[in-house]
Amino acid sequence: MARKLRVRVDHDVCVGNAMCETIAPKVFRLNDNRQSEAVDPAADTVEKILEAAENCPVSAIFVEDAETGEQLFP
Amino acid sequence: MGIAVQDDMFTPEVIADPYGYYGRLRDEDPVHWNDIYALWVVTRHDDVTWMTRHNELFSSAVFRNDPRPAYPAIDESDLGLYEYVRNYQADQFIQHDRPEHLDMRKIVHGYFTPKAMESWRPFVVNAVKELLDAAEEKGSMDVMRDLATPLPVLVIAQMMGVPAGDRPYVRQLAEKLLYIGRGEYDRMPILTDGMKGMVEYVSPLVDERIVKPGDDFISVLASGEKKGVFTRHQVLVNTSLLLLAGHETTINLICNGTLAFIQHPDQWALYKEDPVGRAKWATEECLRYDAPVKSIQRLASQDIEVRGKVMEKNDRIRWFISSANRDPNVFADPERFDITRQPNPHVAFGNGVHHCLGATLARVEGQEVFKALAERFPNLQLESENLDYQPSITFRSLKSLPVTWQ
Repeated sequence: MARKLRVRVDHDVCVGNAMCETIAPKVFRLNDNRQSEAVDPAADTVEKILEAAENCPVSAIFVEDAETGEQLFP
Repeated sequence: MGIAVQDDMFTPEVIADPYGYYGRLRDEDPVHWNDIYALWVVTRHDDVTWMTRHNELFSSAVFRNDPRPAYPAIDESDLGLYEYVRNYQADQFIQHDRPEHLDMRKIVHGYFTPKAMESWRPFVVNAVKELLDAAEEKGSMDVMRDLATPLPVLVIAQMMGVPAGDRPYVRQLAEKLLYIGRGEYDRMPILTDGMKGMVEYVSPLVDERIVKPGDDFISVLASGEKKGVFTRHQVLVNTSLLLLAGHETTINLICNGTLAFIQHPDQWALYKEDPVGRAKWATEECLRYDAPVKSIQRLASQDIEVRGKVMEKNDRIRWFISSANRDPNVFADPERFDITRQPNPHVAFGNGVHHCLGATLARVEGQEVFKALAERFPNLQLESENLDYQPSITFRSLKSLPVTWQ
């Protein structure tokens, strides 16, 4: 079974660059304020979500294993 | 409705102190029509943030679509050269809107991730050390000439994969490209010399990397040509963009930040207590307090109302980072240089889909310079109180910054 993730976008940091939405559009969506929100962490693969996190230009995306709490990014 | 603010943004007073002038506009007429330069001046933090995040309303294709003449004015005999500059600039990926901008940014974005740029830190540390070794031997330095100007070129030349022997030549070209931000009426010949020189220099490197790609930035752009995203001219122009976008800006971060430290001895003392631990937030405060870029231009993509003013399609708009970064609605005590300010939502790198691609690299360079200065030259002082700025509304650029440390 696929690993369950907890994904959080820090809105003090997010600049709305939207690269996460480009890489994993089912997981990340810009809100009315044009900042990213992790709307469905189960909607894409772990690899895609980590790729999105790594490509955030301001490192606003935090990813952890929902069950173990292990921090996967950064 | 009029406002009792004069519209000449190039007077010596406004150039010396943009914070007074644009701050007053922010407080009294935050979306202001400037009649002399025929453009909207936007000065509040919330408006700047909103506009930068609504890229579909404000076009970045400024050079392609703005037929109005260069400002400040240029020599009439140089109009042909200005056309060359317009075409050159227009092919930069940053001068595009979606969908093309996204395709182009995707090619280069991965090269500049925070993780990838962190891996450049040791190179930056070493480059700073060598430049400061030379300064120390001399006993004084012009921070601009001896540190801030060469450092970004060393980094960028390495990113381009330029052979060591060619670096002095690339530095010469880089210094010509700096004229993009100048106001002299005869700046076009020097600037176009730099642009043409870069195209000529980079062309054979691109030929080479198309066939045999490496891990350098030119190879990244060349891969974009192979995918059909970039034309050859765009590959060449976007190579120069590393310098056009990453040189003056980094110079200004280093010089303006160093000056802010010197002018605020209490903050310099606080910083020196823990240069490594304080580098991150201190650098953010330098970016906020005296930002490298004062303003950015866009064109309205459609008629749009902002704060009760109607911008018409193709109107020119300049949003001012300098005044947004000192907006009292966002920053407590905004005129105060406070290296512990946290969070620090300054807009020095913009926001939205055009957020500065080189932001992490600039941060790494700023942090390593301020660390090294604090450790090696704790008694840093100005050699002269006379500070002179370039007459630009885009860049906040000192002309020189001579210091001593005896």
